[in-house]
Amino acid sequence: MAFQCSYYLEPVDTTNLPRRFLDAFAAILAHSNYGAVLDTVARISARCGRCAVTCPVYQASQDPRDIPCVRSELLLRIYRRYFTLAGAVKARAGHPFTLTEEYINTLAEEVYRCTACRRCKLECPLGIDHGLITHLARWILAEVGIVPKALRVATREQLDGKTHNTSAIPAAAMQDTCEFLVEDCRDTYGMKIAFPIDVEGAEYVFFPAVSDYLLEPDTLMGNAAVLTATGASWTIGSHYFDGINYGLFYSDRMLDRIVSKEAEEVRRLKAQKVLIGECGHASRSAKFFIKTFCGGAKAPPVVNIMEYTLQALRAGKLECKPNAIDARVTYHDPCNIARSGWIIDQPREILRAICAEYVDMTPRGRENYCCGGGGGTVSIDELREFRTKIGGATKAEQIRRTGATILVAPCANCKKQLREVCEDHGLDHVQVVGLHDLVLKAIVPPPPMRVEKQDDAQKDE
Amino acid sequence: MDAWIELARGPLFRLALLICALGLAFRLGNAAYLLVAAWRRAGDRDLPWRSVAEATARWLFPSQLLTVRPFYSAASFLFHVGILLVPFFLAGHVALLDGILPTWWPTLAPSLADTLTVLSAAALLAVLLARITAAAARALSTFQDVALLVLLLLVVVAGFFAAHPHASPFDARAMLLVHVLSGNLALVLTPFTKLVHCLLVPLTQLLSEVGWHFPAESGRHVAVVLNKENEPV
Repeated sequence: MAFQCSYYLEPVDTTNLPRRFLDAFAAILAHSNYGAVLDTVARISARCGRCAVTCPVYQASQDPRDIPCVRSELLLRIYRRYFTLAGAVKARAGHPFTLTEEYINTLAEEVYRCTACRRCKLECPLGIDHGLITHLARWILAEVGIVPKALRVATREQLDGKTHNTSAIPAAAMQDTCEFLVEDCRDTYGMKIAFPIDVEGAEYVFFPAVSDYLLEPDTLMGNAAVLTATGASWTIGSHYFDGINYGLFYSDRMLDRIVSKEAEEVRRLKAQKVLIGECGHASRSAKFFIKTFCGGAKAPPVVNIMEYTLQALRAGKLECKPNAIDARVTYHDPCNIARSGWIIDQPREILRAICAEYVDMTPRGRENYCCGGGGGTVSIDELREFRTKIGGATKAEQIRRTGATILVAPCANCKKQLREVCEDHGLDHVQVVGLHDLVLKAIVPPPPMRVEKQDDAQKDE
Repeated sequence: MDAWIELARGPLFRLALLICALGLAFRLGNAAYLLVAAWRRAGDRDLPWRSVAEATARWLFPSQLLTVRPFYSAASFLFHVGILLVPFFLAGHVALLDGILPTWWPTLAPSLADTLTVLSAAALLAVLLARITAAAARALSTFQDVALLVLLLLVVVAGFFAAHPHASPFDARAMLLVHVLSGNLALVLTPFTKLVHCLLVPLTQLLSEVGWHFPAESGRHVAVVLNKENEPV
């Protein structure tokens, strides 16, 4: 039987696949902290099913395979059989479970039906983090060559390619884009902004999701406008400028290598801090894993651009027009920054300062629903139907209930997914934007940033 | 019959209690050891203690339990309360422990113990039926999940009839024997089945958090073991 999943794979070497899977599992258990978790989880998992009610995928699909603890059980079963004494004894006594290629194929299919939103963790009475178990299962699979092609190809370009980023944008093209954005911002919004490149000794090195350079000009102009208006000491590194980290979705080894590149770029530029743009997983991977992999307390601190903007707004360093946005606006919490409680109120405070009518979804914040494209699935185009019809069904209803026409999602992945969700659920009147897209329209530029009328006249000539 | 009962609640009970206590002590020690070792290996040892403590407290005293699946949750809560309180605080049980352990704690009023027992039995039955009848629940249940519920139901029901011979449809002495034997079995099984969560649950929120705190060298070490240090992505 050929190894097949509903997402594209590069050819999978199935020689001795179960053996190689178990070797990878053993190596990971020996050198990580997952063993401590699995040892307890494999014993206590009560399979009460409470997680079923909190999982947006299961709620929409009603298929028992999508119940978080059913999915986790797939890996726990392997762990019990091959890595515990009781499992070895049972096997001797004739217990039938043996790891097969088909079983690994099922696991590979199921763990990419999870959007890794970790909402189920909130409702597990036993504190089991199914997101962590999915995360581990995906890493083991990756070590035997089973990774969605879209994620692997992008990561390959980022780590081994010429451009060092997931969208394969050459540094020169990135700089061209920045110059174009400077002109666009001057012409459209009457503001002079700057994108400082390779400035040594800056406070912040800026890493947006690199796809923003291709797809989200307003978000980037908004980011740069805030940073310019507040006189921030910041720069973009031409050697490495991508915040995206698919390692978070499929391999701790890649996660390590990618965050290390960010830390390295900060060192090269003799800068102090990492500034992440509007992207949930980029923010989480930098915030929580630069510390892990790049020197603990000595690692460069990580700040999300929304934290920066709010601080500037509160300190009076940034002036925005109240009620600048008159349509009804709602906000989607990206799971990677909201589930831990890190960024929930900050963007809302900014939005309330600039929007005439801001409404929240229910539930929100820590208990938010995933957009349906989490865990890297949004980058896997062939999963669109699953993502929008199942993963994003609950979200679509939430958006509809707010009656908003502007949906703010400060995350490159959530934005792409939510646009597709709106398209597939008849929400064509909803415009999905980044937070700084709106800030850009509300900002009152300080005098040096304003474009003189002469400039306009000159340009017209 | 009496000789069997004496054997069951004498030496066999003590043996079951010993296995349970030693097994639980080992499990707790092991889990705590693994937890501390994992934390010491972590590249980032900074833990969000406050949110971990909040989550732990939230599930030890589940005030928001009923917000989701209220009937199932209420049943689950009731049987947990019953099977946690009655074994330790019923006067008859405390008397049995007298001489094995110092029994300084108060006992439950008999009427309250009876109420808890009946509620536990009803709740256990409800949870068992939910497990067997709902398609989704069947999909996620293993043999252990159903068998342990049946065992606990047996302990509770037999215990109630043993204590109320007039209400018992069967011979009360036989009920007592069933109660003691099934109770002993539950004790012995506790460290080796999912029942062990009764002791480990205060650690699990912390454990899940520590799980995300990877050792700084984990990726590189795994690459070395799997001979992938220079392998392209």
